[in-house]
Amino acid sequence: MIGYILFGLVALVAIVSAVGMLLSTNAIHAALFLVINLICIALFYLGLNAPFLAMVQITVYAGAIMVLFLFVIMLLGAEQVTLKSQLKWQAPLAIVLAVVMIAATFLLFFNVQASGGLSPLAPISEDPRQTETFGSPYAVGEVLFGAYLLPFEMTGVLLLVAMIGAIILTRNEAGGMRDEQRAASNE
Amino acid sequence: MNSLFSLIPLVVFFPLLGMLINIFFGRMLMADENSKAPGVIASLMAGLSFVIAVLMFVALLGEPEGVEVPFMTWFSISAGSRTLSIPWTFKVDTLSSVMMLVVTGVGTLIHIYAIGYMHGDIDEQASKRGLSSDEAFDLKRRRFPRFFAYFNLFLASMLILVTGSNYLVMFVGWELVGLCSYLLIGFWFDDPIVGIYNSMAGRKAFVVNRIGDFGMVMALMLIFWTFGTLQFDDVFARAECMRTASQFECLAVDAAQMVETSPNFSLMFGFGLLQPISFGAITLSFQTVMIAITLLLLLGATGKSAQIPLFVWLPDAMAGPMPVSALIHAATMVTAGIYMITRSNVLYAMAPFSADTVAIIGAATALVAATIAVAQFDIKRVLAYSTISQLGFMIAAVGLGGYVAGIFHLATHAFFKALLFLSAGSVIHGIEHGHHATAHKGHGDHAFDPQDMRNMGGLRKHMPTTIVVYIVGALALAGIPPLAGFWSKDEILLDASKHDPLIYILLTIAAFFTAFYMGRQVWMVFFGQPRTEAAAHAHESPPVMTTPLIILAVLASIGGLMNLPFGRLHFLAEWLRESVAYAHVPAAGEGFSITVAVISTVLALAAIALSYIIYGTKPLQEGQADPLRVAGPLFTFLNRKWYWDEAYEAVFIRPFKCLANWLAFTIDWRFWHDFVHDSVIIQFFDGWAAILSRPVDMGIVDGAVNGIGRLVAGASSRLRRTQTGYVRNYALAVALGVVAIVAYLLIRFFAN
Amino acid sequence: MQLPILESINLMAVLPVLIIAGWACVLLVFDLLIPRSRKHWTAWLALVGLLGAAVALFFQIGHFARLGSEAAFDGMVTVDGFSIFLQVVFVLTAIVGVLLALDYLPRHGIERGEYYVLLLFTTIGMMIMSMAADLIVVFVALELLSIPLYILSGFAGMRETSEEAALKYFLLGAFASSFLVYGIALTYGGTGTTRLTGIAQAVTSDALNLPLTTVGMGLLLVGLGFKVAAVPFHMWTPDVYQGAPTPVTAFMSVGAKAGGFAALIRVLVTAFPAIASEWGTLIAVIAGLTMLLGNIVAISQSNIKRMLAYSSIAHAGYILLAVAAAQRSENASFAIGAVVFYLLAYALTNLGAFTVAIAVERDDGTGTEIDDFAGLGKTRPWMALAMALFMLSLTGMPISGGLVGKVFVFQAALQAVPGDPLLLAVVIIGVLTSVVSAFYYLKVIMVMYMREGEGKAVLPLALKTVLAATAFGTLVLGIIPGPVFQMAQRAMLK
Repeated sequence: MIGYILFGLVALVAIVSAVGMLLSTNAIHAALFLVINLICIALFYLGLNAPFLAMVQITVYAGAIMVLFLFVIMLLGAEQVTLKSQLKWQAPLAIVLAVVMIAATFLLFFNVQASGGLSPLAPISEDPRQTETFGSPYAVGEVLFGAYLLPFEMTGVLLLVAMIGAIILTRNEAGGMRDEQRAASNE
Repeated sequence: MNSLFSLIPLVVFFPLLGMLINIFFGRMLMADENSKAPGVIASLMAGLSFVIAVLMFVALLGEPEGVEVPFMTWFSISAGSRTLSIPWTFKVDTLSSVMMLVVTGVGTLIHIYAIGYMHGDIDEQASKRGLSSDEAFDLKRRRFPRFFAYFNLFLASMLILVTGSNYLVMFVGWELVGLCSYLLIGFWFDDPIVGIYNSMAGRKAFVVNRIGDFGMVMALMLIFWTFGTLQFDDVFARAECMRTASQFECLAVDAAQMVETSPNFSLMFGFGLLQPISFGAITLSFQTVMIAITLLLLLGATGKSAQIPLFVWLPDAMAGPMPVSALIHAATMVTAGIYMITRSNVLYAMAPFSADTVAIIGAATALVAATIAVAQFDIKRVLAYSTISQLGFMIAAVGLGGYVAGIFHLATHAFFKALLFLSAGSVIHGIEHGHHATAHKGHGDHAFDPQDMRNMGGLRKHMPTTIVVYIVGALALAGIPPLAGFWSKDEILLDASKHDPLIYILLTIAAFFTAFYMGRQVWMVFFGQPRTEAAAHAHESPPVMTTPLIILAVLASIGGLMNLPFGRLHFLAEWLRESVAYAHVPAAGEGFSITVAVISTVLALAAIALSYIIYGTKPLQEGQADPLRVAGPLFTFLNRKWYWDEAYEAVFIRPFKCLANWLAFTIDWRFWHDFVHDSVIIQFFDGWAAILSRPVDMGIVDGAVNGIGRLVAGASSRLRRTQTGYVRNYALAVALGVVAIVAYLLIRFFAN
Repeated sequence: MQLPILESINLMAVLPVLIIAGWACVLLVFDLLIPRSRKHWTAWLALVGLLGAAVALFFQIGHFARLGSEAAFDGMVTVDGFSIFLQVVFVLTAIVGVLLALDYLPRHGIERGEYYVLLLFTTIGMMIMSMAADLIVVFVALELLSIPLYILSGFAGMRETSEEAALKYFLLGAFASSFLVYGIALTYGGTGTTRLTGIAQAVTSDALNLPLTTVGMGLLLVGLGFKVAAVPFHMWTPDVYQGAPTPVTAFMSVGAKAGGFAALIRVLVTAFPAIASEWGTLIAVIAGLTMLLGNIVAISQSNIKRMLAYSSIAHAGYILLAVAAAQRSENASFAIGAVVFYLLAYALTNLGAFTVAIAVERDDGTGTEIDDFAGLGKTRPWMALAMALFMLSLTGMPISGGLVGKVFVFQAALQAVPGDPLLLAVVIIGVLTSVVSAFYYLKVIMVMYMREGEGKAVLPLALKTVLAATAFGTLVLGIIPGPVFQMAQRAMLK
C-alpha cells in the first residue's frame, strides 16, 4: 500500500514539474523544473529496484547535462523566452490532441488491466524477474557487453558522430572566416 | 553437354562489343583520313563471331541433336505458384548452326569489303557536297564508324534472331534487324541530291515491314494463347500432342511442368487454361487455329522476306550503300522469313492449307520478280528483283516441305548473291571513279547515274577481276552446273516436280527468266563498247574489295558440295534432319532426277543464248533503246514492275489519305471544330453567358479536362499553403497522425 | 551469465558494416593529415572503403544465396538475402553520394573531410537497419542513420536555408523518434521482449496484452513513417530537401528512405504477422494519402529540389502500397520483392535526377528552379536525354525501371486484394496519381527542350560517370528486369 502512495506522490510531482517546465517563460525556471522531473524519474528507478540506474540518471542527466543547459542559457542570455505564437489556433488544437492521446492511453492501460493482462501497477516485489543482483552495476554491465553489445557499440559510434556534428556545425562560419583571413594574410 | 556450347553467347556479344567500341571510340579511332581502324575492329568482331559459329559446328558434330544454353531470364513474373517467364536461351542445333555460319561467314567477308567501299562512298559524298578537306575528314570521322556500328549491330541482331530459343526472342531479333535495315537504307539521308529519297525508302521499308510484323505479333499471341508457351520445343511438343489429343489433355499432362517453367496465360488473360482451344467466348477447332497461326506467320515472312504482297520495299531498299544491300537485303536479313518458317515446320505440317499457300506465294513471287528483273536498267534493281525471285524459290521450297532444299538454296544464294552485289558495287565504284576522272575534265553532269547499265558497257577490259567473279556469280544464279546455284535450285525443282506440278512449272519458267536477265546484265555491263566517258575510264577496285569477292566466288562455285544429291554426299539433309522434324530426306537414289536437271540446265543455257543473241551479238550503242522495247506495252509493264506500287497507291494509299483528309478536314475541322465548337458550343455558351456570370463560361469552353486540371492545381496550391515552414506546425501534423493511428487501433480493438 | 563468445557474434556476417565503420574511424584521423586544398583525397579514400565493403558484399551474395540467413551478435541482427540486397543498394548510394560531393563541395566552398566520414557513418546506420532483428537495434540504427544526416543537412552552414533545414530535421526527427521509443516500450510491455521473433511468438500466444502490442506497433509506424516521409509525417521533407546541400539531398532521398523501408518491412513482417490486417489497413490508408498529397502538391512546385521532395513523398506512397500488400502471407515474398525492386529502381532514377540538378545548380546555391533547365536540350543534349529518361522513369513510362517497379507494386497489391478490399481503392488512387504525376515530370522535359534559355550546366567527369551509370541502370531495369527481380524476390526475409 505504501508503495502505491509513494508512487502516486512522485508521479504527481513528475507531472506537475513537466507541466511547469512547459509553461514557464523563464528558461532557468524551465531548466530547474526539468531537474525535478529527472529526479522523479530517478526515484522511479529506485522504486523499481534499480539503484544503479537511479544514480546514473541523477549524475548524468540531473547533474552534468542540466549544468550544461544552464551554462548555455546564461551564456546566451536567453533567460527570458518570449513566446508569441503567430498561429492562434495551434495551442488549442495541440491541447485537444494531447487530451485525446492521454485519454487513449488511459483507456488502453485500464482496459488491458481489466481484462487480466500484464498489470502495470503490480507490486514490484511480486515480479518474477526480480533477483538479488537485478539492476546492479554488474548485471547492467553484463547485459551491455553481452546481449546488447551491438547497440552499445553503435551508441559509441553515435556519440562520436554527435561530437563531430557539434564541432562542424558550430565552427562552420567562424572557421570559414578564419580561413579567408588566413588566405588574405598569406597573400 | 560439350563445354564448347557454353561459348555461344559470345556469338552475339562480339559484334555487340564492336558496335559499342565504334559508337564510343569511333571518332578517336579515325586518326587520319585513311584510317581503317573502325572497319578493322568491326570485321574482327564479325570474324570472331564466325569462329564461334565454327566452334558450335564442331561441337554439334558430336551432339547433333543440339542443346539449349541458358543465358539469362529476360523477364519473369510470378504470382503465387504461377509463373510467366521468358528466358533468353541460346538454341544451338543444326538449323541455327547453318544460319550462324552463313550469317557470320558472309557477314565477315562483307564487313571486310565494306572497309574499302565505304571509304570511297564517303569520299564520293564529300565531293558531292563540295566539302573542304577538313569538312570531308569530319564527315568521314562521323560516318565511317557509324556505318560499322550499325553493321555490327545488324550482325548481333541477326544472330539473336537465329539463336533465340523462343518466338519472343526471335521476334526481338526480327525487329532489331528491321531497325538496322531502316538505319542503313537511310544511311545517306542527308545526301544533297537523293537524301530525301533515301530516307523515304527507309521509311517505306519500315512501314511495309510493320504490316508483316503485325502478322507476327498476332501469330505470337495466338501461339501463346493456344499452347501457353513461346518456347520452340514446348510449342512443338504440345502441338504434336494436340494433333491427336485434346487441348485439355495436352496441357494437363504437363501442367506441373508448365507451372515450373512456362508462362501460364490464364494469369495474363484470366481465361481458364483447361478448356478446348477457346478464346473467351469463341471456341475454334485445332485445325483452324493452326491455319490462323501459320498464315499470320506467313504474313510476317512475306514482309521480311519480300514476298507478294509485301515485296515492294526491297527494290527501294537498294538506296542503301552496296554492302548493306549485299549483307542485309540479299544474303541474310531477308532470309529470316525462310528460317522462321523452317523453324516452325511442325506447325506448318499440321496446316497443309497454309503450307500450300506458302508454296504458291513463293512460286508466284519467283516468277513475277523474275519477269520484272528482265526489264530493269539499274544494275542494283536487277539484282534486287533477282533476290526477291530467289527468295520466292526458297519460300516455295519450304512451303512444299522441302526444308532442306530451302535452307540449301538460302546458303548458296547468300554466297552468289552477296558476290553479285559486291561485284556490282565494285562496278559502280569503278564507274564513279571514271566519272570523277572525266568530270574534272569538264564532261561531268549531275544527272549522271553510275548505276544505270545503259551508262556502262565494255568494262571487261578495265575490271579484269570483277568480270570473272561476276560471271561466276551470274552462272551460279542462272543454275549452270556444277556451280552452287545449280544444285540448290535443282533440289527445289525436284521437290516441286514431285509434289506440285503447277509450282514446278512456275519455278521452271522463273528459272528461265533468271538465266535470261543475268545474261542480259552481263552482256550490257561488261561487253560491247563503253557507252559513256565514265565507263571508259573505270578502273579495278582495291584488293580489300576484290579479296572478299574472290573468296565468295570460290564459295559460289563449290558451295554445292555441302549437299550433293548423291547417296552419302547429302550432308545438309542429314545435318538438318536433327532439328527439322519434317524435313524431306529422300531415300537413296531419289535425291536426283536427271530429267529435272537436264530440263533446267537446257532452259538456262537457252536463256543465256537468247540473251547473247539479243545483247551479245549487237552490243547496245550509246543512246540506243533496249531491244526488248519491241515488246511495247509489255516491256513498260514489266519495267514499271507490274504497276505494283501504283496499284498500292490507288488501292490503299490514296483511299487512306482521302479518309485521313476527310477525317481531319471534314470531321475534325469542319464538323467538330467549325460546327460543334464554333457554332453549337459557342452559341450555346454565348446564350448562357448572357444569363450566367463570367466565371461559369470559362469552365464550359475549356471542358472537363482543363476543369479537372484546374481542380487539381487548386488543391495543389491550397495544400501547399499547409507547408508554412513552422516546425511547430509540422510537429502538430505528426501528433495528429499519431492520435489518428492510436485512435483507429483502439476503436478497432474495442469495437469487437 | 556468460559473455558472448566470438562465434555467436559472427563478425563475418556483418563484415561489410565493420569495414565501413573501421574505415570511417581511420578516415577521421587521416583527414587531419590531409591538407585543406587536397580534401578530395578524403573522398577517394572514402570510396576505397566503400568499394572494400562492396567486395565483401559481393562475396556474401553467393554465401547467403546458399545458406539463407545467419544471425550475428547473439541474434541482434539477421543477415539474409533481403539485407544483402539492400546493403548493396546502400553502398551504391553512398558511392554515388561521394562522387556527387566530389566537385560540389569545393564549388560551394564547404569542402570538409568530415562530410565523407559522416556519409560513411550514416551508411552503417542504414545497413544495420536492413538487418536489425531487435527493436533496440532498430532504434539505435535509426539514430545512427539520422544524426549524421541532420549534420549533413546543415553542412552548408553559411546558407541560412541549410541551417534551418538541419534544425528542422533534427527537431522533428527527435520528435518522431520519441514515438518510436514509446512504441518499443509499449511493445515490450505487451510482450516482454524486444526481439522480433520473440514478439511474433508472444503476439500469438498472449491475447490479453494484444492491445498494448498493437498500439506499440502503431507508434513504431510513426517513427518509421517519418523516415520514409509518409503522410502525415512528411512535412519536413520539402524544407529539408531544399535547404540541404544537393548531394546530401540526393543521398538521403534514397538512402534514408530505403533504410526506413528496410526496417518497416522487417519489423512488420517478422514481428507482427498475427496482426497483419491491422497494419495492412493502416499502411494502405497512409499509402493512399501519401500518393495523393505528394503528387498533387508537387504540381505547384517551381523549385526542382522541392519538386523532387514531393515526388519522393509520392514514391514512398507507392512503396507503402506494396508493403501493405505484404500483409497477406501467401504473397508476402512477391510484395517484398516488389518493394526491394522499386527501391532499387527509384534509387537509380532519383540519384540520376539529382545529379542533373547538381550539374545545373550554381555555385551560390541558386539555379535550382525548374526554369533554370531551359535550353538544356540544346546545350547539353546527352544530359537532357538522361534527365528525360529519369523523369519518364519517375512517371512510370516504358523502357524504364520506374514502369516495371510500378507494375510489380500494383500487381502485388492486386494479389492481396482478396485479403483487404481497401487495397483495390488504393491501387486505383495509385494509377490515377501516376497520371497526375506525368504533369509535373513532363514539365521538366518540356522546359528543357521547348523553352529557350542559357542551359548552363557544369558536368565534371564524376557527375558524368554517375549520370551514365544511373541512366544505364534505369534502362537495364526497364528492359531486362528479370534477373534483378528474381534476385529481389529471392531476397526474402528468412
